Amino acid sequence: MATLAVSTRDGLVAPWVEWEKRCTDGRRLLEAGTYALTEGAIAARCRVFAGYPITPATDIAEYMSKRLPQVGGYYVQSEDELAGMHACAGASLGGLKAMTATSGPGYTLMHDAYGWSITNEIPMVVVDAMRVGPISGITGAPGQGEFYIARYASHGGNFETIVLSPSSVQEAFWLTIDAFNLAERFRTPVTILTDQVISDMWEDLFIPADYDALDFVIPRKHNLMMPFYPVGSADLDVPPNLIGRGTGVCVSAYTHTEEGYDIEDMAAQWAQTYRLINKIRHHTDQLARYETLGLEDAEVVAVAYGANARTVKTGVLEARRRGVKAGFVRPITLWPFLDELYERDCRYVVCELNYDGQLVREVMRAAPDKKKVHFMGKSAELHTVAEVAAGLEGVARSNRVPELPYIWTEVR
Amino acid sequence: MNKLAAKYLRPSQIPTKACHGCGIGMIENWLLQAIDELGFKQENVIFGTGIGCVGRQTFATWGGDNFGATHGRALAVATGLKLAQPDKKYLIVVGDGDAASIGTSHLIHAARRNLGVTVICEDNMGYESTGGQFSPTTPANYVTNSSPYGMAEPGFDPCDVVKAAGATFVAETTATQWHQTVKIVKKALQNDGFSFVHVRFPCNENFGAYALGTRDTLKNLEWIYEHTQGRKPDGSETDFTWETGIKHDVSNSRPEFSKIMRDMNARVRADMAAKAAAAAGDDKTRDDGHGTH
Repeated sequence: MATLAVSTRDGLVAPWVEWEKRCTDGRRLLEAGTYALTEGAIAARCRVFAGYPITPATDIAEYMSKRLPQVGGYYVQSEDELAGMHACAGASLGGLKAMTATSGPGYTLMHDAYGWSITNEIPMVVVDAMRVGPISGITGAPGQGEFYIARYASHGGNFETIVLSPSSVQEAFWLTIDAFNLAERFRTPVTILTDQVISDMWEDLFIPADYDALDFVIPRKHNLMMPFYPVGSADLDVPPNLIGRGTGVCVSAYTHTEEGYDIEDMAAQWAQTYRLINKIRHHTDQLARYETLGLEDAEVVAVAYGANARTVKTGVLEARRRGVKAGFVRPITLWPFLDELYERDCRYVVCELNYDGQLVREVMRAAPDKKKVHFMGKSAELHTVAEVAAGLEGVARSNRVPELPYIWTEVR
Repeated sequence: MNKLAAKYLRPSQIPTKACHGCGIGMIENWLLQAIDELGFKQENVIFGTGIGCVGRQTFATWGGDNFGATHGRALAVATGLKLAQPDKKYLIVVGDGDAASIGTSHLIHAARRNLGVTVICEDNMGYESTGGQFSPTTPANYVTNSSPYGMAEPGFDPCDVVKAAGATFVAETTATQWHQTVKIVKKALQNDGFSFVHVRFPCNENFGAYALGTRDTLKNLEWIYEHTQGRKPDGSETDFTWETGIKHDVSNSRPEFSKIMRDMNARVRADMAAKAAAAAGDDKTRDDGHGTH
């Protein structure tokens, strides 16, 4: 496992901090998160979108159907999400960058394709705009219920996944480019776990003028020779395999050899597992994207991601105004989980949009003392600034979250 | 290894793990004959398959590029792959589970789109790699390990399904009809659109053993042959008849899916260029709106 040196300076750690400085020529728009996700994909040279419309990700499909033909790409409205993600896998195997977008009910159908794409190291980007669940839930209300499902996106174990979550329309744009880059470098599907608020919200958005000039976009390369699957290796930047060039590459659902032949052999199974897990675990330092605030002196740290992190961050600032030494951690990389962000021995208040408690369990595991990790779960709507400030104040002063309506604090 | 196998298949991957007397290898040899007679180059044919007897026994035997999708999803993968690699020939060799059950929605929509692939549905009339359960193509009343009192559900004919959905070439044949099958597959591969070839073949270990009461390959082949003729050797009628041959052939009569997409793109981009030229001539200060940068 790579170790990560966490910056205690306030601010953002992400590649787009640098990108933003370099891109000065462009246009400022008032646009939706779905628009930013679409344009980020086009900028990253995504040329295939295959998916099934679902609220609140539908607008991504609509924008893609308009934009892709303009840049020589293809929009496929698939018969279901199983077909959508598999068609993306096919397109990616054929040499085109691909993306699909969905929400919880469709995401559930994608696990079949996730397993196939993860095992065969097929780069692509999957957007899940989470809404409150279970099942259809409320289509127009945000949720954060797929934190664990996005990690365990297929049955069978023996793999790691990369999951990123933006918390503004602008960040959705840059993060989508980053997701495509990581998909290429790590040869794996990268999931953008966003939510109904970020998807539907309209906000200030800067779009660079010339996508072709973005030198930080990693172009698609092709692996045209053996080994097609570097089993037992944790190497990054292995170019993806290409079907259609007569290299003899084999892609299947089975445990594979370096050639891609199906094999029932323990050594091959182990070597494949080593590759799928460690190409990510050994490079977590290259996957760390996060935002922190007030970690220098914080006695209580609020943890939140996605849309929810916006009101939580303001709640932290409000608590500080009231004299509470409050800090803020916003993981952007949700998986692999950045344990190092929670190394500080202090109290934590984890705010997430579900009542069962998902992110909080990982913070409990990573923090020095899980008894100091508190939960503020809310469902279908964001935490208010007042709730967060009250929670932080309560934990700082009496080591407990005060009773608040619609807030759950029990994890077990 | 015969000459065709030596020319097109991977020596390390054959013989496959197929059971004694399985028809899959024989049918694959006929597919090779069709490819050979058409003169297709190995690197220009992409071989796709799924899960089950047919997927497991054919995956990675083809000397060119191969993919073995999750169960039923070969056509979903092929839909994306065809957009990226439109000039290749696609041989999608799947079983009755892949085509007629778990992946039927993809089959229907691939036919509707006229996706340029040739689907060979090798049908052993049940799920034999899991030990012999019925599938939607198991004949009525036949005993399998999940229909111990006889297949009670009505089945369906996948040829009817894909024809109704818009397939441009549809044919049915069996493992007892060598020359007919080769001719059909050659025609199927020459259709720049969705071709579907349904090939019934015997399974000795399960369907033969439980439904027909014999593991004898010749007897099982004979049972299939009788049902293509509608008559048993003693002259009596069989319980049902399979009509084999070409069921529907409107090859190359409507545009192939990836071509529709490419043509649309060309139209969109020509319109954009025309508008940009007109705007440049009309009013050099006008912004053409978002979404076109």
